[in-house]
Amino acid sequence: MEEKKKQKKKAYNPHQMSRTSNVILNVLMAILAFVCIFPFIYVIIISFSDKSSIASEGFQLIPSSWSLEAYRYLWSIKDALFNAYAVTILVTVLGTIISVMLISFYAYAISRKEFQYRKQFTFIAFFTMLFSGGLVPTYIVITQMLKLQDTIWALILPLAINAFWIIMMRTFFKQSVPEGVLESARIDGASELRIFFQIVLPLSLPAIATIALFSTLGYWNDWFNALLYIENPNLVPLQHFLMKIENNLEFLRNNPLISNQVQSTASIPKDTAQMAIVVVSTLPIALAYPFFQRYFVAGLTVGSVKE
Amino acid sequence: MMKKTLVMMLALIMSFSVFLAACGGNDDDSSNSGNSGNDGDEPYEIIWYTIGTPQKDTDKVFEHLNEYLVDKINATVKMTQIDWGDYMKKMQIKINSGEKFDIAYIAGSEYLLNARKGAFLDMGELLDQYGQETKAILDPAFLEGPLVNGTLYGLPANKEIGQQSVYLFNKSLVEKYEMDIASINSLADLDPYLAAVQQNEPDFQPMATFKPYLPFDYILGDELPFAIRLDGDQTKIVNFYEEPETMEILKVMHDYYDKGYLVGDAGTSDDPWPLEVENWFVRKEMYQPTAELQWARSAGYDLVMQPMHQPITFNGSLMGSMQAISSTSENPQKAMEFLNLLNTDPYVRATVDKGIKGVHYEELEGGKIKDIMPARDNYRVPTYSLGNHFILPLYENDPENKWELFQEFNDDSIAAPTIGFYFDAENVKNEIAAIENVRGEFAKIILHGAVDPEEFIPMATKKFEDAGMNVVMEEMQAQYTAWLAEQE
Repeated sequence: MEEKKKQKKKAYNPHQMSRTSNVILNVLMAILAFVCIFPFIYVIIISFSDKSSIASEGFQLIPSSWSLEAYRYLWSIKDALFNAYAVTILVTVLGTIISVMLISFYAYAISRKEFQYRKQFTFIAFFTMLFSGGLVPTYIVITQMLKLQDTIWALILPLAINAFWIIMMRTFFKQSVPEGVLESARIDGASELRIFFQIVLPLSLPAIATIALFSTLGYWNDWFNALLYIENPNLVPLQHFLMKIENNLEFLRNNPLISNQVQSTASIPKDTAQMAIVVVSTLPIALAYPFFQRYFVAGLTVGSVKE
Repeated sequence: MMKKTLVMMLALIMSFSVFLAACGGNDDDSSNSGNSGNDGDEPYEIIWYTIGTPQKDTDKVFEHLNEYLVDKINATVKMTQIDWGDYMKKMQIKINSGEKFDIAYIAGSEYLLNARKGAFLDMGELLDQYGQETKAILDPAFLEGPLVNGTLYGLPANKEIGQQSVYLFNKSLVEKYEMDIASINSLADLDPYLAAVQQNEPDFQPMATFKPYLPFDYILGDELPFAIRLDGDQTKIVNFYEEPETMEILKVMHDYYDKGYLVGDAGTSDDPWPLEVENWFVRKEMYQPTAELQWARSAGYDLVMQPMHQPITFNGSLMGSMQAISSTSENPQKAMEFLNLLNTDPYVRATVDKGIKGVHYEELEGGKIKDIMPARDNYRVPTYSLGNHFILPLYENDPENKWELFQEFNDDSIAAPTIGFYFDAENVKNEIAAIENVRGEFAKIILHGAVDPEEFIPMATKKFEDAGMNVVMEEMQAQYTAWLAEQE
């Protein structure tokens, strides 16, 4: 029965394309996918190459000799590396939670018609999309008024609110959470908080999942706030930590006389170490992405309501 | 509606002004307490930013040093290192935002830029008041070179004052082919040796990629066409590409390129030639006394060198490393007193540079020192960026007369004509930007010998002229002539 149905379906499918176009499209997609992933494969290969083979032959797809030296170098600084990982994970998790909370609170408030000042608050959020304070005033606010310098909050708070997402969420709340649902909840005696957490949030999962995803990526990849506000080596997040290693290697290679003053041994595998750094910083998030993506797609299909 | 908006705005503005007022109040308080920081009060904490990777033991070292500093000048020092690549980005925003700090490492064009902006205090005055000893030991060139509008804004680290380009050779090849490198006086003299390496040593590139030494004092870097001859007329600014010596040397360079002594992509490549990779025969390096020991240590094989010219003191070599006192400092007097100790007190200087005696290094008989491993790896700071070199202890393998060699080098250095002259490009910014583009197109291929200079130098000159070279040259000449007149 089941099989028969399938066959029948196969025989008549208005969306099916011809065999040739199917093959062509698949090949095209395969090429595209390969082009996307090739540089990364190349980076992985270089990170495992021997530095002397790079010096003599340049970057090769199949180097004449392999080496784990680059990873051994990264292992030699593992304490700092793991610490940076911990900071990044803490900032990402905490930051995503705070960010999603703040954005959905703000967006929900300005999406409700009962809120008298919703236009003004919308405008305040919108205004920051057009004009920003600029780097130096932001720096002064964060270091001198809020005294966040050298704290974990300097990595979390500057990215916590994003005006564009607020506007997006507001639109989503307005369109996808019907007034009628809220009204019936109120008639059943639900408080405002209960309405928000038990009715509005579950209905808005797709939007929240989207924001959480972007915000996670934003926190994971952020290095600029660390560059500005962090001096304590124990609070440096992963991306900035790796960037610093790379900059330092570059600087010391260009200034051999200085590198002599600050290193006991001069044999850091520079090219390969840079590539190993890229691998180490990208791989975890690349591996985590498919899981996120599943949730993300599932989230998008959740929660339509009939009135 | 309109009214409501206005009310909201007003409320916002008011809440902000309350915030700001509160902050202003704080500032007043703190500056008062700073001014009253006389001896006998709480020791003043000097905040010092300097370049380099932060070290594990920094706090430990300074805790140790601070005990001494409290006795001496009633101050403590908090040194914060900022990584190589981040340093200037971070300092620039600290300076722009008016953040409070006392001392910062600064060098080169960033020094000029920020000194002009008023970010630093007048170092000359402070030296006179609280740093007489330092002033006495500094090489006089340091007090004359880095002047911005006649005022010194930073304290240069007392070390070599000049620059000297040298040819560095791979010693094993020099010995194998019994080369007489001491007889090499010009680029053209290298030819037979390069040919020998090319024929017999396929694993070696005869020449690493470098720009040949040209006898000019460059006003805006060694690629823009503004320079003063080091010999001959020193009152006139010329386009050095058009000078006969340049043509002669670049012809040799191009000949070498054609013969394959240089790598094929020398005109475009940015690849450095790491010392530790033994695949070259000759290269150009900047020398300072005893650098050969350090190079050999980096390389891991033996090297020999031959100077290209006598050491020359340039503006750039005088501004290579300085400490400036911030105009946001609450107690410049203490900051200066500390800098004075750093440059004159061997104990302070050695502790800042090498760590704690008995923990990071030990003293051997006869006053030389030795690192204690592995503790020393937790405190390695860049010597060049910190202060006076001449009072540092010597390592066991350092030559006995290391600082005499530095002194000799300084005594031998001849002063470039533009010491103390800095071109103010404000009026010709657009032209310089256009010239900068032409430079990007031509400088490297010409100077690395990748193209025929007889064809390309006139072409580049034409483009430089189209981009406004003559306008800039005129402005520069006017400023330079005025400056020359002032000097007399």
